[in-house]
Formats: sequence, C-alpha cells, structure tokens
Amino acid sequence: MKFALSVLCAVLPLAAQDVKMPVGLDKLGAKASEVVDVSLDGALLQLAGRFLSEKDPDEANVKRLVGGLKGVYVKSFEFEDRDQYKESDVEELRAQLRGPAWARIVSARSKKDGENSEIYLKTDAGQISGLVIIVAEPKELTVVNIVGFIRPEDIRDLGGHWGIPKVDIAPVKPGKNDKKEDEK
Amino acid sequence: MEDQVENSEPRTFASVLRAQQSMVFSIAYHFLRDRSAAEEVAQDVFLQLHRRFDDLKSDMHISFWLRKVASHRSIDYARKRKLQPSVGLDDAPPPSVDDQPRDHFLHRRLQSLIGSLPEKPRMVMVLRYQEDLMPEEIASLLDMPVRTVKSHLQRSLAMMREKIDRSMGDVR
Amino acid sequence: MMDDFEQQIKAALAKKEPSPFFEARVLGAAKRQARDRRASARMWWASAIAAALLVTTGSAWQYEREAHEQAAGREAKARLELALKITSVKLQKISQKVEGI
Repeated sequence: MKFALSVLCAVLPLAAQDVKMPVGLDKLGAKASEVVDVSLDGALLQLAGRFLSEKDPDEANVKRLVGGLKGVYVKSFEFEDRDQYKESDVEELRAQLRGPAWARIVSARSKKDGENSEIYLKTDAGQISGLVIIVAEPKELTVVNIVGFIRPEDIRDLGGHWGIPKVDIAPVKPGKNDKKEDEK
Repeated sequence: MEDQVENSEPRTFASVLRAQQSMVFSIAYHFLRDRSAAEEVAQDVFLQLHRRFDDLKSDMHISFWLRKVASHRSIDYARKRKLQPSVGLDDAPPPSVDDQPRDHFLHRRLQSLIGSLPEKPRMVMVLRYQEDLMPEEIASLLDMPVRTVKSHLQRSLAMMREKIDRSMGDVR
Repeated sequence: MMDDFEQQIKAALAKKEPSPFFEARVLGAAKRQARDRRASARMWWASAIAAALLVTTGSAWQYEREAHEQAAGREAKARLELALKITSVKLQKISQKVEGI
C-alpha cells in the first residue's frame, strides 16, 4: 500500500509545486539547444535520499539538506542565439512571486552582459518554506523552484563537494550599467 | 577548425565516438596527466553523450558539447580525487639541477608546468593550445568571463616562460 | 599568431589516442546503459499500472518491485545531483557577483 501511494505521488509531480511554471517556458524547449528539466516531488526526493550514503560525508550532507524538502524543480534552457525567449515568459513567473509570502532577497542585473539574476524566498510563520531562483542570460534561462525549508547558502556551499563544481569567477569591477540590489 | 565526422558517414554514436575520442581523451589526459583517469573521464563523457545523442543536432553542436562536458568532468574529477595538487602560479617549485631539460625533454617539461597550474588556468591552456580555441570560445565552454580567460593565459605563459628560461636559457 | 614558445606548447599538447580497446569498451557500456534504461522504463510502467490496479503482492511482484525501486532510486539520485549542481553553480555565481560589487 505504501508503495502504491508513493507511485501515485510520483505521477502527480506538480502537486507540491505551489509556484506554477508558465506554459511559455515549456515551449522554449523547442528552440533550445540544451534543455534540463528535473521534477522531483517529495516522494522522489525521499527515494533519492534512501540512495544517499550516510557513510559518505558529502552524501550525508545532501541527505540532510533534502530531508525536509517537498519538491525540487529545475528548468534550464540553453540557446544557440540571443533573444530566443521573451521577458514576458519570465514576467509571468515573477508575478506569482509578488505575493505577501514572497520576498526578493537578491537582484543582480548587468545591462552590459544582459544578465539578470534574482533570488526569492518564501516564508511561512517566520520559517523559510520555499526558494525560487531566476537567472536570465542572453543565451540561457534557468528557473529553480525548491519547496520546503532550505537556505540558499546551504546549496551554494555544496560547490566543491559531491561532484558539484566550485565556481571561481574573477572579481568583476562594476561598470556604469551594473546594478545590484540587496533588498533584504 | 572543428573536428567533424566525415561527410560520407551518417552521424551515429559510433561514428562520433570514433571521430572524437582522441579529442575528448586528450583534454582529460593533458589536464589530469593520468592515462587511466583520462580514459575513465572520457568514457563517462561518451556515455553521457549517448544519453543525450538525439538532442544534439549538428556536428558543431556535438563538438562544442563534448569539449564542454570533457572540460567540466575533468575538473570535477581532479577535485574529487585530488590527483594534482593545485599550485599557485607563483608557488610552483623551480626546477632542480637534475631537471635541467634538454631540447627533446622540452615537451615533457612544458606538460609538467601546465600540470602544475591551478585547475581553471590549466584547462584554459589545454583548450587554447590543444584545441586551438579562441578566448571567447573558451569563455563560453568554461562559463567564465573572456577577460578571465585572457588573464589566465597571460599569467600562465609568463610563468612558464620564466621557468623555462631559468632552466635552459632563452627558448623563444 | 603564435610565437615559437606557444608553438612548442601546442606541440607538447598534441592529441593522444586512448588505449586500443577504449572504443569497444565505450560501445559495450553504451549498449548496457541503453538496455538498463529500457528495462527500468518497462519496470516502472509495469509497476505503476499494477499499483493503480491495486495488485496484491506475490513473490514475483515483490522481486519486480524491488528491482524497480533500485532502478528508480538510482535515477532519482542522479536527477537530484543534476538539479543541485545547476542550482549551486547559479547561486555561487550570483553570490560572487553580489560580493564583487
């Protein structure tokens, strides 16, 4: 019975995802040269967790991080050319994140590079209950939606562990067109 | 410039493997300086290609994808296994008297110096000089700014020239 | 244009061939991978249909369920790794951009 229940949960992957991915985003797959589309609801996360080893420190850490999550959803599109997606495709998503439960905690925009990166946190009774990351670049669009308690720095700090690259970019001196807002 | 499957052969996974295995293996080998590790990485890259094969539409796309994945996988592998201690550009030890290179050992010395670089500059050098990629292409593959790529190239070349000069006189 | 020193580096980084059996090994592994994925997909659907029909467990069902769970669990773990990799890299870049300004 328990197994039947978990299978039913697996065929309803969007149940835990309270932020709906706009229909326009899915259509971008046809134009993209590379698409990553990962949907892991609570049942699949639990299943994945059972295959993470307690003996490996990196896997044990990941197991602890995802233990309280109800869903992890990632859509990433890479394009050969610029301007393959519209601002309106992303704006439909942003509109869902303007509710009282959501706060945009980071917005980093570079007009020169044409990049806009945002992090939104959802809180419920003072606790983090959701994370959305939107990274819009000229040739790449990535949207991450995580449901449950997670701190952005916990995932950021996975870099260098469990096969996750540690990114090391050269310090960027601000140009006139770069704008950063730490809004919280 | 691009390695391409011969036009007469239909593009299958096997034909791409045959045409591109040297490129993928060499990126991993020159980065990791370990033949069996390089084969392990190269095999992983091609198995990943096999899973994604239908999504990649052109020879150019396949080449770009293979270089990108081979680069990232090699860097991940090195970090995981700590095969090559990362040495700062200014920290690489000077050659000992016994290491005095002669002309026919110059290549080994150059390979060793490249192998002593930190991971990102090392991969930049491999992509520049093995694959003849321009800084903009390397920046796209490694997801780093072009200015960072150029900086890595300049500093790495300067370090290597200085060390080679010290050990065997002017070779430029 | 590359100078003589750079030409020497280029020569030092000339492409090398993997071992003679590399190609055969990769082709063999790719075939096994494709077969495992087809078997996993077949088992997944077979299990999903059976569960929806509320088939009671028997010894053959139990075996198939465990095999399916193993395959499904490995697949879920791989997808989790991919999702966290993308998310972590993006967060690292955002963090460094914000800290660098």
